[in-house]
Amino acid sequence: MIVAEQKPMEEIRRVIAPYERVLLLGCGTCMTVCGAGGEREVSFLNSALRVAQAKSSDGIHSFSEYTVKRQCDFEFLDLLTDKVNEVDAILSLGCGIGVQVVAERFPDMPVLPGVNTSFMGMAKEWGVWDERCAACGDCRLAETAGICPITRCTKGILNGPCAGTKNGKCEANKDMDCAWILIYKRLERLQQLEKMRRYYPPRNFRVIPRPRRIVMKADVELGEDNG
Amino acid sequence: MANSLFEEKLNSNGFLVTTEIGPPKGADVSEMVHHIDFLKDKVDAINVTDNQSSVMRFPSLGGCLLVKERGGEPIFQITCRDRNRLAIQADLLLAYSRDIKNVLCLTGDSVDVGDHKEAKPVFDLDSVQLLRVVREMESGKDMGGNELKGVPQFCLGASVHPEADFIEPQLVKFEKKVIAGAQFFQTQGIFDLESLRRFMQYASQFNIKILAGIIVLASARMARYMNDNVPGIIVSQAIIDELANVEKGKGLQKGIEIASRLIKTIREENLCHGVHIMAVGNEGIVPDILEAA
Amino acid sequence: MDNYQASRMREASYGHSLIPPCQVACPLHMEIGEYVDLVAQGKVLEALQVIRDGNPFPSICAYVCTHPCEDACRRSQVDKSIAIRALKRFAVEFGGDRMIQLEAETTQSEKVAVVGSGPAGLACAYYLRKLGYPVTIFEAYSELGGMLRVGIPQYRLPREVVDTEVQRLIHMGVEIRANTRVISLDLLFDMGYKAVFITVGAHQSLRMGIEGEESPGVIDGATFLREVNLGLKPSLGEEVAVVGGGNVAMDAARAAVRLGASKVSILYRRSRAEMPAGPDEIEQALEEGVETMFLVTPTKMKRENGRLSVTCVRMELGEPDAGGRSRPVPIEDSDFNIEFDTLITAIGQAPQISEDFRLRIGKGSTIQVDPITLTTNRTGVFAGGDAVTGPATVTQALASGRQAAFRIDDYLRHRYPLVDKEAEETLSGELLPKTIEMIRKIERLEPPLLPPEARAKEFKSVELIYNWEAAVDEARRCLRCGMGAEILFQDKCATCLTCLRVCPYHVPYLDEGGTIQIPADQCQACGICVAECPAKAIVLRKPYDRRHIDEELEHALKSAAESKSKPLIIGFCCQYGLFGTGALASLWREGKAGIWIVPVLCVAKLEGGHVLRAFEMGAEGVFIAGCGEQCSRENTAFWVLQRVEKVRKTLAQIGLEPERLQTFNLRIAEGDTAEALDNFTEQIGGLCLASVIKQEVKS
Repeated sequence: MIVAEQKPMEEIRRVIAPYERVLLLGCGTCMTVCGAGGEREVSFLNSALRVAQAKSSDGIHSFSEYTVKRQCDFEFLDLLTDKVNEVDAILSLGCGIGVQVVAERFPDMPVLPGVNTSFMGMAKEWGVWDERCAACGDCRLAETAGICPITRCTKGILNGPCAGTKNGKCEANKDMDCAWILIYKRLERLQQLEKMRRYYPPRNFRVIPRPRRIVMKADVELGEDNG
Repeated sequence: MANSLFEEKLNSNGFLVTTEIGPPKGADVSEMVHHIDFLKDKVDAINVTDNQSSVMRFPSLGGCLLVKERGGEPIFQITCRDRNRLAIQADLLLAYSRDIKNVLCLTGDSVDVGDHKEAKPVFDLDSVQLLRVVREMESGKDMGGNELKGVPQFCLGASVHPEADFIEPQLVKFEKKVIAGAQFFQTQGIFDLESLRRFMQYASQFNIKILAGIIVLASARMARYMNDNVPGIIVSQAIIDELANVEKGKGLQKGIEIASRLIKTIREENLCHGVHIMAVGNEGIVPDILEAA
Repeated sequence: MDNYQASRMREASYGHSLIPPCQVACPLHMEIGEYVDLVAQGKVLEALQVIRDGNPFPSICAYVCTHPCEDACRRSQVDKSIAIRALKRFAVEFGGDRMIQLEAETTQSEKVAVVGSGPAGLACAYYLRKLGYPVTIFEAYSELGGMLRVGIPQYRLPREVVDTEVQRLIHMGVEIRANTRVISLDLLFDMGYKAVFITVGAHQSLRMGIEGEESPGVIDGATFLREVNLGLKPSLGEEVAVVGGGNVAMDAARAAVRLGASKVSILYRRSRAEMPAGPDEIEQALEEGVETMFLVTPTKMKRENGRLSVTCVRMELGEPDAGGRSRPVPIEDSDFNIEFDTLITAIGQAPQISEDFRLRIGKGSTIQVDPITLTTNRTGVFAGGDAVTGPATVTQALASGRQAAFRIDDYLRHRYPLVDKEAEETLSGELLPKTIEMIRKIERLEPPLLPPEARAKEFKSVELIYNWEAAVDEARRCLRCGMGAEILFQDKCATCLTCLRVCPYHVPYLDEGGTIQIPADQCQACGICVAECPAKAIVLRKPYDRRHIDEELEHALKSAAESKSKPLIIGFCCQYGLFGTGALASLWREGKAGIWIVPVLCVAKLEGGHVLRAFEMGAEGVFIAGCGEQCSRENTAFWVLQRVEKVRKTLAQIGLEPERLQTFNLRIAEGDTAEALDNFTEQIGGLCLASVIKQEVKS
């Protein structure tokens, strides 16, 4: 799941300041799951912005709210075509992808981000999300017993651990487990420690050059002879 | 044929002594030069640290050049935190060309523990990969497979952590470093000789040299601070108590005493091949330690 | 209209509560869940209103209903069922049922005759009168009420209660012809009645059919109770036997105790487990000193030396009979003799229908009717109550009378009776162990009873009424079956699993298709998942529950705006428990110094958005007052605090002081709460002053 955190109110108020009619746009998929930008958060933000406006009494804004199923696909945004004529800006509570897709779809509309997209991760329990994947494009979880050294090791090294681990925790963040200790223990459990004894050469950091693209569509030639 | 003076000494069976100098935070190297002069004849080699603890300082390579200038034997500490593979290979070429041939290959502390916490951590390589890279350069090619005009040769070292609370993964790493080409190891600070003995039982099967890292503590507070904040350091409670029980002002003396005691025992019992003294700011007292030991 | 508006409208019109088992079991189909919930809020007037909507004579049921609702109550799967009847009695008494006056107008011309003034007859007259028909009740006895008057002793149903209902009917315009035995239905039609309802009850005691049944000292139970209720004190002597195991037998035995018999024995041919009498009746009889002899039956009697000599035989339980109960079989050669002064037979009753009525009679001497229309073989003649079913309960008779009234209305208005409305969905299914585990076990509070020694001396009502606290606490044990949460907007659901993770009762689960299901028969209606769902996909089934907070908040804000009192403080206060009637109620009623209370039905349903709205509309301070750890639902306080922290964080980011939002616990000593609220008000006042000063300084 893509996990994000809502931006501080002060920042949001600052970016919407120049616009009178603002549409608060929520996203019904990842942002709902991680609690940063679903329908409930949109509603809450709407109220908060109005309270702020009432308090400062220099309110020029009028807010509307809407939540689409996903912001990262154009078809879902078709539902907005009428609405965009009635607003001056869109504050999107979608992830970074959503903000960009909305902006691409409505190039004449200022589209502003309302959340800081942080990582791809999992929910350990309600209200606690941990990063798990860095989208490195070169997944090596087979070698590390399903524990990613790129995300879970602060240094992202492939021949771990470093000397900075104490009590099984990372030197940089004492709340986080040392990934390589976890990997060692799990490999031991699976009786696959030889995987850790192997030498792992330096990563290919440019598996695909940025911005990355994956093409599933095949190039086919239609003609009388084929199909 | 040894690549450097230090390598020669490694190949002999004498008791080795190295120490380290932390460069200044700034362009004024006068104090560092002073320390180099002071120490160059008393030890077998001098490490120059590389943005140690992720605190930005005058670079290790620059410090090694100064050591060479002043007639000492430098060990170039190179970490993977601040440079990518291109920069690392380039620096190694420079080092070799200036006769700096001892290299200590480290992964490097995390950016979060230093004074530039918002910096981008590089870690294009880790310590094991770095050792390999150097050995590949020695065979005449860079990482991209291109031929080198002027092929370097180095004496390589790495670090190891015998007092880690969960030792098995550290041993796996140690072995990988040996296979990758490390010839000598300087350990993290040793305070408990038992763990050193146990480690040496395992390490002595390999054809490498181990220098025990000895940290000079100046007070109980310093000991506790290092415990909590410096990666890789675990000071035992017994030592903290020893430091706590001296009167004010005598802390450093006690530290020297403790350090000397450890070195003496190591030397007498032949526990390992030498020591690496880390005075952490008190470079001046190194000779005293050596005398006392 | 776009999807947004469509979904809002869908939500507004949706009201898919499921009918709870208590309501299904009630012969009158009363909205039990509703009135129990109102009692839990201390709202007796509203509770009584709900009761009266479903029951013509709540006072009567409050005393003598056999409470099939309690037998169906699912709380018994956790600990013990809710004491529904006692709660109803509480609502009836404290809600002032006695005071309610009823009016009715005549809007139809067809006269209807009701023959028999038992509960079915009275109910039929009540509903017919409300429908506007002129109604006459014919009663053979001098007093109205049927079994209510002559069957049930006064310690179970005081006579004033029946009198009050009869008076009310008279006030509504029902014509009463007492001391009038109807001998011919043709005569009634000749008199101009267009429809007749026969509900003469089952007063004819069954005979044991043994030698000596005619002897002096043998009296049948129905006659005995009638005499007792009419104020006659039949002399019984010292030792009395009562043959039978139903409620009539219990009533007869306990009446005998009160009349001074020193030893009263029940003789029953089966064992205690098979006795048809209500368990409470049996329990109370035993407490009053009634003795029991199980598995015995008299075979012959004779009067000897001024006493009754009764020969009995011992029985054993054999194969079950058609009704499923074990057939008692006499044990050979187990005869024994025992002497009594009086023997009362109470082995059952049957109706006694005159042949002149020319009605088709069936098994047990009961009138045969069509079960849906209640029509007999004669046009325009309907029948119901015990006369049709044989001896049954008061509540079943009331339901029968109500049904008859509507069928007679259909008949007179030439309508086909509507088939049952599309059956509303009922709740089924047992509670799962993982849910039961999480429900706090609370002992059932029984209503207080007169001590047995006091009871045995007189015919005063045995059961007393709850006090306020007890009634409210007992009502709060209700599981609110069928009123829980449902994923209304499955398309909005992102399957984020929040509902599954936050539910204290482990109710939502992932089905095989990976869709979240919230089973209605497990949900405890706490409202936590509704407020936490990030997609707002879950609603509470009752529309009232959904809109309640929003509407109350808007109402409070409007009143506050009009009154202009400063500083304006909005308080969200839980309604359960005695808040509405306690000392804090004064806050509610007067809007003390700018405090406006928004009543909520459990603070677990209060969302951060509600609090922000209060601030948006001018509140300077907001507080949330709940029941803390004593909330009838689990984890409420934790979730309220989560939401409070989030709002506080937002307030700080906007530049408002987080202290403007506070929580209070209503369950700690009232003095403390009132004091804390005073402090809070002062604090808010201070903050307002500070910000005013800041404004002035700025300008």
